[in-house]
Amino acid sequence: MKLEYQPKVIGFLCNWCSYAGADMAGTSRMCYPQNIRIIRVPCSGRVDPLFVLKCFQRGADGVLISGCHPGDCHYTEGNYHTRRRFALLRDFLDYLGIAKERLRVEWVSASEGQRFAEILSDFTTELANLGPRSKV
Amino acid sequence: MARIGVFLCHCGSNIAGSVNIPEVVEAVKKLPQVVHVEDNKFTCSDPGQASIQQAITEQRLNRVVIGACSPRMHETTFRRTVAGAGLNPYLLEIANLREHCSWVHPDQVKEATAKAIDLVRKAVARVAWQESLTPRQVGITRRALVIGGGIAGIQSSLDVADAGYEVILVEREPSIGGHMAQLDKTFPTLDCSACILTPKMTTVGQHPNIRLMSYSEIVDISGFIGNFKVKIKKKARYIDVSKCTGCGECAKVCPVELNSEFDENLGKRKAAYIPFPQAIPNKYTIDKRGYPPCRVACPAGVNAQGYIALISQGKFREALEVLRRTMPFAGVCGRVCIHPCERDCERGKVDQPIAIRALKRFMADYELKVGKEKATPVERTKEEKVAIVGSGPAGLACAYDLVKQGYPVTVFEAAPEAGGLLRYGIPEYRLPKEVVANEISYIQDLGVDIKTNAPVKNLTEIFDQGYKAIFLATGAGISQKMGIPGEDTPGVLHALDFLRQVNFGTKVSLGSKVAVVGGGNAAVDAARIARRRGVNEITIVYRRSRAEMPAIPSEIEEMEQEGIKIQFLATPGEVLSEANRVTGIRCVRMELGAPDASGRRRPAPVKGSEFTVDVDNVIIAVGQGVDKATLPQDLAYTNLGTLSVDPLTLQTNIDGVFAGGDVVSGPADVITCIAGGKEAAISIDRYLRGVDMKEGRPEIVKRVKEVSKEGVKPEARHSMPTLELGRRKEFDEVELGFDEKTAIAEAQRCLNCAVCSDCRECEKVCEAKAIDHEMQDEIVEADVGAIVVATGAKALDHTQFGIYGGGIHSDVVSSLQLERMMSAAGPTGGEVVRPSNGAHPKEVVFISCVGSRDERTGDGYCSKVCCMYMAKQTIMLKEHAPETHSYIIYTDARGPGGKIFEDFLTRAEKAGTTYMRGQIDSVSQQDGRLSVSGQDFLTGAAFNIPADLVVLATGLMPSEDAANLFQILHISYDAKNYLLQAHPKLRPVETAMDGIFIAGCAVAPTDIPESVAQGGAAAQYVLKLFSQEAIEAEPMTSIVDISRCTGCLLCRQVCPFQAVESETLRDGRTVASINASVCKGCGICVVACRPGAIKLRGFSDQQILAEVMAL
Repeated sequence: MKLEYQPKVIGFLCNWCSYAGADMAGTSRMCYPQNIRIIRVPCSGRVDPLFVLKCFQRGADGVLISGCHPGDCHYTEGNYHTRRRFALLRDFLDYLGIAKERLRVEWVSASEGQRFAEILSDFTTELANLGPRSKV
Repeated sequence: MARIGVFLCHCGSNIAGSVNIPEVVEAVKKLPQVVHVEDNKFTCSDPGQASIQQAITEQRLNRVVIGACSPRMHETTFRRTVAGAGLNPYLLEIANLREHCSWVHPDQVKEATAKAIDLVRKAVARVAWQESLTPRQVGITRRALVIGGGIAGIQSSLDVADAGYEVILVEREPSIGGHMAQLDKTFPTLDCSACILTPKMTTVGQHPNIRLMSYSEIVDISGFIGNFKVKIKKKARYIDVSKCTGCGECAKVCPVELNSEFDENLGKRKAAYIPFPQAIPNKYTIDKRGYPPCRVACPAGVNAQGYIALISQGKFREALEVLRRTMPFAGVCGRVCIHPCERDCERGKVDQPIAIRALKRFMADYELKVGKEKATPVERTKEEKVAIVGSGPAGLACAYDLVKQGYPVTVFEAAPEAGGLLRYGIPEYRLPKEVVANEISYIQDLGVDIKTNAPVKNLTEIFDQGYKAIFLATGAGISQKMGIPGEDTPGVLHALDFLRQVNFGTKVSLGSKVAVVGGGNAAVDAARIARRRGVNEITIVYRRSRAEMPAIPSEIEEMEQEGIKIQFLATPGEVLSEANRVTGIRCVRMELGAPDASGRRRPAPVKGSEFTVDVDNVIIAVGQGVDKATLPQDLAYTNLGTLSVDPLTLQTNIDGVFAGGDVVSGPADVITCIAGGKEAAISIDRYLRGVDMKEGRPEIVKRVKEVSKEGVKPEARHSMPTLELGRRKEFDEVELGFDEKTAIAEAQRCLNCAVCSDCRECEKVCEAKAIDHEMQDEIVEADVGAIVVATGAKALDHTQFGIYGGGIHSDVVSSLQLERMMSAAGPTGGEVVRPSNGAHPKEVVFISCVGSRDERTGDGYCSKVCCMYMAKQTIMLKEHAPETHSYIIYTDARGPGGKIFEDFLTRAEKAGTTYMRGQIDSVSQQDGRLSVSGQDFLTGAAFNIPADLVVLATGLMPSEDAANLFQILHISYDAKNYLLQAHPKLRPVETAMDGIFIAGCAVAPTDIPESVAQGGAAAQYVLKLFSQEAIEAEPMTSIVDISRCTGCLLCRQVCPFQAVESETLRDGRTVASINASVCKGCGICVVACRPGAIKLRGFSDQQILAEVMAL
């Protein structure tokens, strides 16, 4: 798939589910767009909204935060904090002139390599269609 | 100044195939602080590791970046390498060039190379901020927890226990053994499953190091490797296992029978049961699932299921005992109760509710018929005398409960005879006086002293006589007036006065036409009595419609049969009279408006609709009220004119004086009055003992959740025989009651909603006194160092596969059902039979992959054991009956165990089994035989096989609620709820959670040898852990910078592990402090901290932001 615009994507993946899910995509040799750069965090609840803003400030076109499915969090309730924090941040992004679609929060378990690859393909295409982001 | 060394791994061609390593090397050399870059074919190999160590020493590196596979793969390996060269292992960062780059971007060398450079740059930026961390040494609790008592869990437990360590084995079911215990023979050796399993089970039961907790579940786990704290719920089994001898007397007398889960619903078990004879522990369990709906619906909490279960067994006397545990009025309530129990009866959802009221009456009838034995007086164990004023149902129910508790009780009744409304208000044809007298004499026999003609006017006098508490239950005995002109004319009667006079035997003369005003039971009773007194024309005038009429529907029906008319939507406005004699009533038509406070639609008069009815008498039955004149002084009243009491304790405004029944509620039904009396008895007992009267009230009862109605065939309830219309005289009872046969048949319709009926027959026969129906679930806490999860799998329910006739044709069975039939200890004693007619099957068709390898009908995976057990079952069928012929319709015939497995399939074929590769189109039934049709894939031909028995080889799936347990343990599982291994090849019995190991079918479908091997392997890991002196705890925990902390303690609110404590500094400031041994390093608090005072070691803001900035 050839994209007209190659977006820059940064992903914050929790160590226990989503990072392992991304590993699973690799082990299973599933292809997905190369645009993502993954940062490992212990829990999606470790992701500070300021990290996301920093990403956008540094020129990222999209940010993906991914953790364990609700109920499955390795730390019991970290992903619930994530869900609340980023629901708020997404609303706030519009005020900053950043389309809220550029921030995604997803749940990917350690066995869902396929799902991880699908999410990335979809997200990358969406970001490519949105095109380059105007400066903050 | 950081001196960073970067080591890039080719991983053979795994990375180098997609990433141009020399290009990455050149790019990385230009990065700041990088002083050394090299690449290696295999960095994880010995030479690769040695070269890292050499570079650290020679180049004086103080930070290391390795670009290789996922850190989840080799982070530990490389930390050790780095530590070997004298560098702190946490000064290492790994760039994931394989799983996150080369493997997912093949054939995109340019892009993959650019990404690899980014990933290494990111790691270099991060590692510069890395700091030295030192793991803490923590001790180990050398006790293991094994969850699941199947063969895998049994093996783990035995291996750990034999090595000399304590094991807690938790099993959800009443016995260990799992599915293996259900099997008859095992493949491929055909040895008897019980013969090889039960010795192991017995060893578990007797092992000094194993603490077996059956019928228990894990509810919570906290802590970490070597130091877990678990909470285990010991479900109440209502039998004290320390006393139970396993004699089985309780099961013999238990009246409740249900399908045996162990026999796959082919056999029956009792509510008091042991799943199978060789169960370990060999202790019985009572299956009690809460309160049945009938008991919950009854205001007095009468245990209807209990006496119905005993009636169904013909134990009529015992049944009456069950009722009398709650109240003494079988005969009374069996006749006049409004039976809310029948409204909620679950059987009503199938066809019609059980005739509970009729069965209750039957018990009383039976006692009178066979001759009543005089009740033995209850021993007086209490000193405090209690006075009860009023001998209606409320007063007597209270007296009954108190006398049974050992109190001396005296009932004061103003009337010449006891019984209140039961005697004076309800006509003889509904409630014979003999029945009331019989039940009152039973109460007297127990020791209640009833004084008649003894009105109580002064409470002080009663207290002066030495009574310590008083219960007022004087009823609502005066009729309310309508307030219309002419109401005082002679010939206008009030229903209660009328009924009282009739019941006293006073002569009341009536004309030939009578109007009764009102729609309640008193109105209906009055009308029917008038009919019995020879009145020709009786009209009930009721202001609402039939739907709102409060009288018992069956009474209304019988009344209409007796020729009494009802004038709905009409109300009298005036009683017409001539010469002081009633001549008629002038009525007005009504229409219904909006619902009022009682929920009934409020009637309003229609203008100009007046009409006149000619009558000689009017009986007014529009309501009853409390007669204040008959009550002692100084009592407080509500604005409805009833006594004002505390709604929970029923205590009046005077200390020690309680009230209940109609005097509090206004006119109500009998069972509600009884309930009031019982509540008062609880209060009086607590009052006299000086304990809190309100605690635990109102009682919250656990209604049984779901009631299985599977296989219940609709069957109408038995109707109450009644006296022929022409023969109904004044005193003859209209309802005639059930005979014994009808009662038993009706009782057998009961669904036994709560399973255990709480009849307590088992208590009587248990010589060990092991039964405790009041037992509660218990939470046990334990410290363990390691956990083995072996929760197993269950076979899919074959009845969900309607496409193969499962759940439709009774001769379509599951493979486990066939297994139970083959077992000599099974429901058929080892005979394989057709469930429809009990005959031996000649032609048997096995259908493979039911729910396996087929996304349409179930799961996509192979359940692994089915091909082999089908082969086994066909061989065994042949051994059981040589004339049997089996077909196996397979997708692929797999022998997935190497060695002798393939030979075993051949053996089945040689034994005469016909293997056909194909697909099933339908399973139908014709003339009592099944017909299996489908396509043979090898010949391309369609087939149609007539069969006596069809066996569905159902696949395996994880146990129910397994995912709940996995969430409690914080271990990962896949979309099918199977457990995830730490590595699918190299760490098959470990999880991502250190200290938690897995084995058996909870991980994936496995056969017995594999489960045993995995159980043993998991035990090895436990022992490896226990053999260490101490373990190192992860140092990546949060720490508070107290100079920045404002003491808001938001971190304490968000911490899932209660690791945050508050600390007061010497200057009086409050700050947060994090307990490193409890902190698990999630970092939620770091984000929540507003002044930025918390740092998560290993994942600090600087480290993560450095990565962001590098991209």
